[in-house]
Amino acid sequence: MTVWESVGEFLSDPDTWSGPDSIWVRLGEHIWVSVAAVVIAGVLVLPPAIWLGHIRRGSDIATAVVNIGRAVPSFGILAISFLVLVQMGAGVGEPWAVLVALIALAAPPMFTNTIAGIQAVEPSTVECARGMGLTEREVLAGVELPLSMPLIMEGIRIAFVQVIATATLGALVAWGGLGRYIVDGFARQDMGRLIVGAVLVGLLAIVAEFGFSAIQRVTTPRGLRVAR
Amino acid sequence: MIWAQQDTPLVDWAWITRNWGEIVDRTWEHLTLTAVSVGFGLVISLALSILALRKRWTYGPITSVTGLMYTIPSLALFALLVPIVGLNATNAVIALTSYTLLIIIRNLVAGIDGVSESVLEAADGMGYTRRARFWRMEVPLALPVIIAGLRIATVTTVGLVTVTAVLGLGGYGYFILRGLNTFFWTQILVGVILSVVLATVLDVGFVWLQRFLSPWARRAG
Amino acid sequence: MRRVFRSRAVGAILGLALVVTACGSGDGATDGDPIKVASFNFNESVIVAEIYAQGLEANEYAVERQLNLGNREVVKPALEDGEIDLVPEYTGSVGGFLGVEQTADSQVMWDTARTAFEELGVTLLAFSPAQDKNAYVVTAETAAEFGLTTVSDLQPVAGELIFGGPPECPERPLCLQGLEEVYGLEFAEFVSLDAAGPITIAALEGGEIDVATLFTTQGIIAANGWVSLEDDMGLNPAENLVPAIRMEVVEAYGDDLVTLLDSLSEALTTEDLTDLNRRADIDQEDPALLAAEWLTTNGFIEE
Repeated sequence: MTVWESVGEFLSDPDTWSGPDSIWVRLGEHIWVSVAAVVIAGVLVLPPAIWLGHIRRGSDIATAVVNIGRAVPSFGILAISFLVLVQMGAGVGEPWAVLVALIALAAPPMFTNTIAGIQAVEPSTVECARGMGLTEREVLAGVELPLSMPLIMEGIRIAFVQVIATATLGALVAWGGLGRYIVDGFARQDMGRLIVGAVLVGLLAIVAEFGFSAIQRVTTPRGLRVAR
Repeated sequence: MIWAQQDTPLVDWAWITRNWGEIVDRTWEHLTLTAVSVGFGLVISLALSILALRKRWTYGPITSVTGLMYTIPSLALFALLVPIVGLNATNAVIALTSYTLLIIIRNLVAGIDGVSESVLEAADGMGYTRRARFWRMEVPLALPVIIAGLRIATVTTVGLVTVTAVLGLGGYGYFILRGLNTFFWTQILVGVILSVVLATVLDVGFVWLQRFLSPWARRAG
Repeated sequence: MRRVFRSRAVGAILGLALVVTACGSGDGATDGDPIKVASFNFNESVIVAEIYAQGLEANEYAVERQLNLGNREVVKPALEDGEIDLVPEYTGSVGGFLGVEQTADSQVMWDTARTAFEELGVTLLAFSPAQDKNAYVVTAETAAEFGLTTVSDLQPVAGELIFGGPPECPERPLCLQGLEEVYGLEFAEFVSLDAAGPITIAALEGGEIDVATLFTTQGIIAANGWVSLEDDMGLNPAENLVPAIRMEVVEAYGDDLVTLLDSLSEALTTEDLTDLNRRADIDQEDPALLAAEWLTTNGFIEE
């Protein structure tokens, strides 16, 4: 059967549209785990990163973090977390191992971009704000954060897109998500399943990219938006 | 639970000693897959970047296409290439190379773009041809940014190579996958730790390379 | 000038590296080429492949290993293409995969499977008395709750149960596909795990699945007090262990190779497999060591 026929067969299979292995379920799993990973990573690293950026320290840590983060293979973290969790009694199909690996993936770019973003705000601007009598918190919230939004958002966007692509590895440790179609498709040589899985992940990533570009535009203070 | 090996130590050193040969083999496999992929990536990126620099309008489409390839999850790309290329290193290299393109091209173009106007004018003033100016002035001056891109591409590739374990390759990823198939901690740890070590060594290597190739940056400090 | 030389040198080295390492793998075996031994992605296959590999090495053959390669969907094309040369196979499963009729008669099963495979350039050498079939396993509690001793007993309750197996299971005649066709079983859900590995076992232990696909030679079934449901309608054919080897390699190396491999196959028994599996699965012993030990005990390697 040709690849197209295989895709057609997969898409016309009722199990693809309802039931535990349906596109809705897999898509849903994939999205919520990706979002959760980015949100949790954000909660963990954004506050310290903002603070470090504000006191103009830690750019070395930032660089080191992103380098180490990149050097650690996601597949490895996934395997280790999975083993730890299963041996601690967690269920096999649960997403926690995947979540851990994805948080580890999302954290470094968000951390580093946030520090870089805040530090990129002109010192003179910050001084000026202080000179006008703004408290440190007001300087941070009213001046530094808005001005560094583009870079912070950039970090979150990079993290989000990487997470979406890497969440596919979760299927290697018996989780679901769109990676399930990819792994199962490969194992069964069911090209239709494989392609639909890959295309959906790609589309999800593209939607995330564009979505975030839009968010970036909205959160960029008017004064910073480049006139075209 | 029978599966939990609470009485065996986390790291079975005897296993490591016994399988040293395999570990060395997988090191070469990992290194080769990384080097060849980044190498091809560099060559292709160079060609595409030159095109993008000459004909500006191509930059958008080029980054869109390479960006698109980047969104295809590695697992999927490896799997999709099997019916086309087979279950072998060629498959892995094709996929790994495509993931390096976006990063390297972006850095190549940004680097060249970053060379200041005054330097270019000076070169023109000294009578350099456009080609000579490019290869002898712009590229060397853009080297720090270019190498930064190569650095990121290489470290990222080292991580992606582990996923090629599903193709029977994997470099250190073979140990991770095998450890996962048997719940054997030693193998997983060996695979992960060596992967990190390799990535770090290459990363540091690139920092040195950058300093070596642009001594003027060092002097300028 | 020096700067240019440096960048040119870098370019030259890179170019050389590409050329040197991009050389593809040769195909067409000639005497002297290493024999590429591969295995499926479960312990027993790795152990048996190691037995063949080490047995070959002990007799001066050069061997390359590609263990844990994947499932049959992945391994068979690799064998046909010459990416690998030798894989320990199972007569019934490979026969089913090739579309030939399944039978419980070992000789006939081997014969039909071999004939079909030879059309693809791969032959099956002499088969081993050792057999390993698919087992459909439930916990003792599940068996008690639903009164299960045979696979047919699942018919009234399958709709309430979750079935777990390797990802290729739904399309395999000896897995879900066969269970549906022969026994008429429709389970509530299929969960994709691994090939009778620790993930499947953990899932059955943890209750994420109710019925698991394992192998009859896995000691963990008995060790956990699990129930291997009787295949009362005879879905599973003969599953004798047999080396699948590319015909080119056999021609290149000749009778000595065949005799050696045959002697190894002949010496393997189902009890051996069960014992080796138990030690690999439960005791976490190294498959390579287990293979070496088996070869020594059976006189293929001097101590």
